[in-house]
Parts: sequence; structure tokens; C-alpha cells
Amino acid sequence: MQAAALIHVVDDDMSFRLAVARLLRAAGYEVALYESGHHFLQRSSRTAAGCIVLDLNMSGLDGLELQRQLNEVGSLLPIIFLTGRGDIPASVTAIKSGAEDFLTKPVAKEALLAAIERALARYRERQGRREALHSLRARVSTLTPREREVFSLVVHGKLNKQIAFALGTSERTVKAHRHAAMEKLGVSSVAAAASIAERLGMLADGERRDDG
Amino acid sequence: MPGARRHPEALCRLPPRGEAALILAIGVLFLHVLLSCAAAAEPKRILLLHSFGREFAPFSDFSGRFREELVGQSREPVDLYEASVEMARFATSQDEEPLLGYLGALFAGRQLDLIVAVGGPAAGFVQRNRQRLSPSTPVLIAATEQRVIDTAPAIALGATLPVTVDANALIGNILRVLPETTTIAVINGSSPLEKYWASEMQRVLEPYEGGVHFTWLVDLPFDEMLERAAALPPHSAILYLQYWMDKSGVPHEQDRALDELHARATAPIFSYLDAYLGRGIVGGPLLSMQVYSRRAAQAAIRVLAGESLIDIRPTPTGLGLPIFDWRELQRWSISEARLPPGSIVAFREPGAWVRYRWPIVAVSVALLVQGAVIAWLIFERHRRQRAELESRKRLLQAAHLNRSAAAGALSASVAHELNQPLGAILSNAEAAEMLLDADPPDLAQVKEILSDIRQADQRAGEIIQHMRELLKRRGEIDAKLFDLNDTIADAMRILSPEAKKRGVVLDAEESRTPLPVRADHIHLEQVILNLAANGMDAMAGVEPQERKMTIKTAVNGKAEVEVSIADRGSGIPKDKLEAVFDSFYTTKQQGTGLGLSIARTIVEAYGGRIWAENRAGGGAVFRFTMPLTKVQPA
Repeated sequence: MQAAALIHVVDDDMSFRLAVARLLRAAGYEVALYESGHHFLQRSSRTAAGCIVLDLNMSGLDGLELQRQLNEVGSLLPIIFLTGRGDIPASVTAIKSGAEDFLTKPVAKEALLAAIERALARYRERQGRREALHSLRARVSTLTPREREVFSLVVHGKLNKQIAFALGTSERTVKAHRHAAMEKLGVSSVAAAASIAERLGMLADGERRDDG
Repeated sequence: MPGARRHPEALCRLPPRGEAALILAIGVLFLHVLLSCAAAAEPKRILLLHSFGREFAPFSDFSGRFREELVGQSREPVDLYEASVEMARFATSQDEEPLLGYLGALFAGRQLDLIVAVGGPAAGFVQRNRQRLSPSTPVLIAATEQRVIDTAPAIALGATLPVTVDANALIGNILRVLPETTTIAVINGSSPLEKYWASEMQRVLEPYEGGVHFTWLVDLPFDEMLERAAALPPHSAILYLQYWMDKSGVPHEQDRALDELHARATAPIFSYLDAYLGRGIVGGPLLSMQVYSRRAAQAAIRVLAGESLIDIRPTPTGLGLPIFDWRELQRWSISEARLPPGSIVAFREPGAWVRYRWPIVAVSVALLVQGAVIAWLIFERHRRQRAELESRKRLLQAAHLNRSAAAGALSASVAHELNQPLGAILSNAEAAEMLLDADPPDLAQVKEILSDIRQADQRAGEIIQHMRELLKRRGEIDAKLFDLNDTIADAMRILSPEAKKRGVVLDAEESRTPLPVRADHIHLEQVILNLAANGMDAMAGVEPQERKMTIKTAVNGKAEVEVSIADRGSGIPKDKLEAVFDSFYTTKQQGTGLGLSIARTIVEAYGGRIWAENRAGGGAVFRFTMPLTKVQPA
């Protein structure tokens, strides 16, 4: 078991909040408790690995609104909704907005813990993806402006001759830049380079530029 | 023109000798009057010859009525003279000379037109002295029983006007109205005529001796007669014939004997003469002196007119219609049903009705009116009570339906509310299990958990209990003293999940002082729920951050608490502020239009008022008042 994942429990019902906290602590998680969505936004530390167990119906800032605001700020913390009401429209909205799970109270320990484990796995996955992306961006940032231009045209499927023409340079120079860029990015094929470009969102830009 | 007739009549009584002088004195003006008078003959002179003096019944009654009838019927003036053969009372024959002399002197030089002998003794006197008593004057023998006439010698130039008294009818009458009679005491005086009658009656009544015992109180001193009449055995009756003279020769005029007898006797008294009616006799078929007197007067007039006495043969006058004295019937408890058919009941107690007719009418009318008013009020009261009962039943039904609907609408939220403690219980229990599995188990925390579980369970129980109360059918209003703050808290508990669901910020300001009211708390909670639900519905269309509802209480000076439920909804059109409380007024697709109407009905049932206002900043506020109950300071 992953040590010290932090589970945020947001529920305006204190007795329920406490009960869930006891259960999660007994199961070995770190637990942070919040009595409202506002409280969570103000007080939570969202750097540690973990997830949010969120009550759907709360006065003031309700669960769905909190989810929307967290999505806006790019929170990685998966959300497990926990509600007293089996409200289908609310659950659809929640899931579409990326909720990890939608559970109803009273919730069995197994269901809750399993959902938390899935959420934590999801967190780790998101965390991993985000880290990979960060390293790719770091590598792309090492390209010189010319290498970057050449790379952009390469991943858009342009031939060396076309690139040389577009940049007003010789085909030999283009080849040199292309080689250097591929070296820096650690790829050996155009396909791998295109994959990196796609993950970083550069393909669309290139296309749009083409169209424009 | 009776008045015009009486005048000349009076004048005609003047002695004829004065006539000429009067003519001279008065003159021509009265000429025709005097002429008419002069044309009339001398008055008809009639001598009434009594047997016992005027004051003995039935003769007394006869002479009075006879005179009346005669004067009334006669076309000619009559001059009535009366004399009495007093000596007839006495057994020993007395000298009749003085009377004859008196009468002779009285009518010397005057034409006597008719002699009426009243009663047997008088008839005998006339018969004995016919030649000396104006022999040419016709004689009518009146008030004499047929039997007496039959036994007496005939009178020259005389006719009889007989009466008959059927003794059997008298006895039959007694036995009819008093069938239990076993003894009949016959009362009769001691004069010769009376003695005759006593023996005659004894003879006639013999056939009755078998069934009825007759006691002959005849020929007794007066006091003894009274004593014996006062000591008659039960089921006795008295037959009073006459009591003109007692054994010692004392005359008893004017029926004083009957009066005293009536005062002393212990048995009902019967007789045969209508003159006695009203003086103590019960009644029965009676000889009517009025009828007889009229007949006698008619006969007398015919004689005066010159008719032959031979032609005057009137049928005997017998006992007439049965007449009874109502007072005696009452006294002896004789039912009127026993009286022979066609009986006349006289002397009916003039009754309160106759004596106090107008006061009775007035009082009766007042009583009737009063009674009618009372009856109407009672009827109204009953009607109102019934209506109130009915309306209360209906209110309870409607309130129950409305509550059920409200509870139904809130149930989803309430179920959510219920899931909170249930969820807490489950999670707590599972946490406790895990803690107990640990080594060493954290028992302190397990203990804490168990305490929390108990609290959560209690809370769940309260929610369920509350819902059940809302859904419970209330047969009768369960009015109790309670703190309105508690009811508001209850309502808040059940409303807050719904408010949460609808994104309404619900706020209640609790009063710092207790608000004691007497009502069925479920009804007041229902009022709050209805008003709050109405307010939340009104806020469905407004921006989420605007959805605020506030419940406040305030004690006003009139010992009332005013509860206000304010929303920030769409408000109420000004002209609908009243109508919103009407039944079936609704703006909602799903609304029954009964929520506010029922709220009003409930509030008014407990003596409160309810109204709606629009708020300055938008939205509506519903207010209702409840009388505060004075609570003895503890």
C-alpha cells in the first residue's frame, strides 16, 4: 500500500465526516476534513498524492461547483462523489466532468476503499503523464529556434526539399538541423517525433498555421 | 222601536182620571201620544198567588221569570200583583179570611184579568175560595206537579200548566255519573207539601231499593239533617228535593238549606231544578224554569187575549237537557265522559284564559317569541356545532392530505437526510471493526465511535419519527402547550435538506425568549412547511446566489408571536395578496392550490391571522400570528 496518500473529505455533516475519517485512517490513509467547498479551496494542500471524497449536496458551494472550479485550476486530485441522493442528472454531470466515482451514502467500506484505491491509481497515472509531458517540454525547449522550425515542419510531413524551400535554405542545412533536433528529442523516426509533437499540442498549431 | 213603545206604556199606567188634565197641561204637542194611550184598554191585571211566599224555589224562580216573559211577550200593558198563601206552609188549616179580605179589598173596583196560582197550596186556596176570588177571572195553575194536579179537585174556570219530575231519571242520572253509588240520601223539608213529596218519592223510588240504599233525610230538624248529610258513608249521593221548612216549622227561604248542605255534605248533591245549578248541585236533567216560565207566560197571554181555557192544554214541562256544574264535576272527580250525550257543562272555571286573556296573550306571545328565539338559537348552535365538527373533520382531512403531499415532496430530501446518520453509522461501525482488528486495539476510539453511532442512530430515529408524525392521520386536534421555537427547529430540520437540494440558503433566527403557544404542533409545523415550500417554489427562477429564505419570530405588544417567512422570489402581484390564500389558487403546474389555504385555515383555527406582503428588495414575506399562552413563571 502506498504510504501516506492524503484523502480530502468534504462534507457538511460533521458526524458523517468524522465517521469516514475514522474509517480511512484505520485503513491507513492520511485524512484532511473540510466542512464546505469554500473551506476546502481555502485550506487544502493539493500537492500531496491523494483524492477528494466530496459530498454532492452542500449548502453554499456544492460538490459539482467545487469540481468545476478544481478542473479550471487543473487539479489532479480525482474526485469521488458521495451523496445521500441517487440523483441521475447530478451523477451524469459529475462523471462527465471527470469524477472518479459516484457513491451513495451509506457506503460500504469495500466500495469506498476500492474507489479510493482506483482514484489514487488515477492520481498516480495523471501524475506520471504530467511528469512525462514536463520532460518532453523540457527537451523541446532545448531546440534552437531553427531546429524547432525544422522539427515543426518535419512532424507535419514536409520533405527536406520543401522545408529548405520554405526556410530559404539548402537541403543540406535542413538535414543537419533535423538530425540535431531528433538527437535532442531522443527520437529516431519521424513517427516518434510526430507523437511528441502531438502530445505537446504542436500539431494542431502547425496545421492551423498551414491553413492560415 | 222599543224605546218609543215604552214611553206610552209608562203614561198608560196613569189613572184614567188624570188623562184629561194631562192633555190640558201638556197641550197639543203630545196629542198623538195621548190619543194612542187613550186608545189602549186598561192594563191587564194579574194576580200571582204564591204558595209559600216569593222566596221559595222553584216558585221564586218562576215568578221572576214569568213576570219577565209576560212583560216581554205581552202587547198590552200588564199590572202584576203578588200575594202569598203563607199559611199553606203549616199543616193545620188556618184562617184564610184575612187573605181573602185583603185580596177582596185590593181588587175592589178593579178588573182582575187573570189569577195564576203558583204551586199546589195556592191552587188549593183558589179552589177552596173560588167563589170569593173574582169568580169570572180565569185561573192558571202553575208550577204544580202533574200528580198534585191529578189529586186535587178541579177548579172552575181554571187550566193547569203542569210540570213533571221523573224521579227515575233523577236516580238514573246519579247512577250514571257516579256508578259506584251505593247510598242515596234524599233531603226534603217538613211542610205538608214537602211531606207529600217525600212519600210520593219513596213510593216511586222503591224499584231501586235493590241496587241502591236510600236514606230518607226527611222530616228532621235542620241541624240533624245537616249532621247526617255530613256523615254519609262512602259512595253516597244526596238527592235534594226541597227544604222549605224544617221539622220545627222554621222556614228556609232562598234555598239557604241547600247552601248549608253544600257546605257540610260529604257527598255530591243532585236535584231536579235548574235554579239549584250553581248553588252546589252536580247537575243532570233539570227542570228549566226559564222554559217553563215562558210557556206559562205564553198561556197567560192567550188567556188574557180571551182564548178559551179549554183550548189551553199545554203538555207538561218535564226535565230538560242535562246540565252540569263544572266545579262540582271537578270536586267529585266526575269525568265529563260519563255525562250523558248532549250534556251542557256550565260554570266552567272562567279559567285563567277568560280572566287574564290579555296578559296571557301577551305573556304567551312573549314566551312563544322567546321560545322560538331560544329554539332557533339552540338549533343554530347545534347546526354550528355540527358544521364546526364537520369543518374540523374536513380541515383535519385536508390538512392531512396536504401534509402527506408536503411530506411526499420533502421525502426525497428527507431520505437524503436519513442517509447522513445511516452513512455515519455504517462507516463508524466499519472503522470500529478495523480498530478492533488492530493490535493493540484503540479501545478509546472505539468507545468514542460507539457513542457517535448511538447519536447518529438517535438522529435517524428522530427523522423517521418526525416523518411519521407528519404522515399520521390526526383524528382530533391535539392541542398542547409548547414552545414555537421547537416547532421552527423541527421545520428547519425537515426543510434544510430540501433547501440544500434547491440551493436555497435557509436561515432561521431563533427567538431568545420561549414562545409558549397552545395548538397542535404538527399543524403549526405544517403552516411553516407550506409557507416555506411556497417561498422556495417562488425562488426556483432566480439566480442561485439570490435564493435566500429567512424565518423570523417577533413578539408583538398584543401578547402574540408573529412568525415571518421571507423569500427572495418573484413576489406576489399586488391584487393577489389576498387571493393567494384562497383554495385552489395556484400558479404552479403541480400545485394543488391548497397549501396556503390550509395554512390560513389552521392559523385562524388557533385564533391567529395570516397575510402576505411584498418585500422592498423583491420577494415576498408571509406572516402569521399566534396568541401566546401565559405561562406561570416557574
